[in-house]
Amino acid sequence: MKNFITYAIFVIISAVIILGLALPIPDIPALGDKARVLYFHVPMSWISVLAFFMSMWYSIRYLKTRDHNYDIKSYSSAQLGFLFCILATATGSLWAKFSWGSFWNWDPRQTSIFILLLIYGAYFALRSAIESEDQRAKLSSVYSIIAAVTVPFFVFIMPRIVESLHPDPILNTQGKINMDSSMLTVFLSALVGFTMLYLWMLDLKIRAEKLNYKKLSLTD
Amino acid sequence: MSSLYDFLETNSLYIVLLIVLIIWVGIFGYLRSLDKKIKKLEEK
Repeated sequence: MKNFITYAIFVIISAVIILGLALPIPDIPALGDKARVLYFHVPMSWISVLAFFMSMWYSIRYLKTRDHNYDIKSYSSAQLGFLFCILATATGSLWAKFSWGSFWNWDPRQTSIFILLLIYGAYFALRSAIESEDQRAKLSSVYSIIAAVTVPFFVFIMPRIVESLHPDPILNTQGKINMDSSMLTVFLSALVGFTMLYLWMLDLKIRAEKLNYKKLSLTD
Repeated sequence: MSSLYDFLETNSLYIVLLIVLIIWVGIFGYLRSLDKKIKKLEEK
């Protein structure tokens, strides 16, 4: 990735951290300053969804072309998606402790993200269980596509059809965004900054995996 | 210096800000060095 893009990522995320924590926010009943978690928690959740879908897209490309580079990309994206999913769970759980009273209380949101983590955990277990390269790529691609199909259900649908304590999603059922304009600016910058960070990390991960693949095929 | 200390003592949010910022600078520096190392390996 170009140098200036990485510096742009640095500037955007630093600005989000500074403005997100220093700018005053309107008084939100029952949330107060804790509402600031949305600048970090929501982008983590958004990136995990994006990464899982990217993984699905690369899996489809792999099944079409049988090019191993796509398998590497799909695997790298799923790994990052898993990492960001854990971060979304951790930030949410920390927030829950101070708003709901305990770190974990099997709220529909927490349950659905937990199931999602289990599904992708099984993906990595599947990959590590198969020795043959082609077989591993083929099976995990199919699994990744099936896993990504469940993502919208667990992230968007289930928490909306079951009674939950989780604050209204950013885009609520009326399709409106109820947010103060300065908060919205910081929030959108956070989404852009973290998405760019994910793309940079994906680029690094793919390049490292390709080097590893090359090294392994040389030693074989 | 003592006034800055007093300020931070009464506004704990800014301490969180500083800590998060330090962590972010560390992560960014690590990613940059990783990028450079991978580039070097690719050129080999």
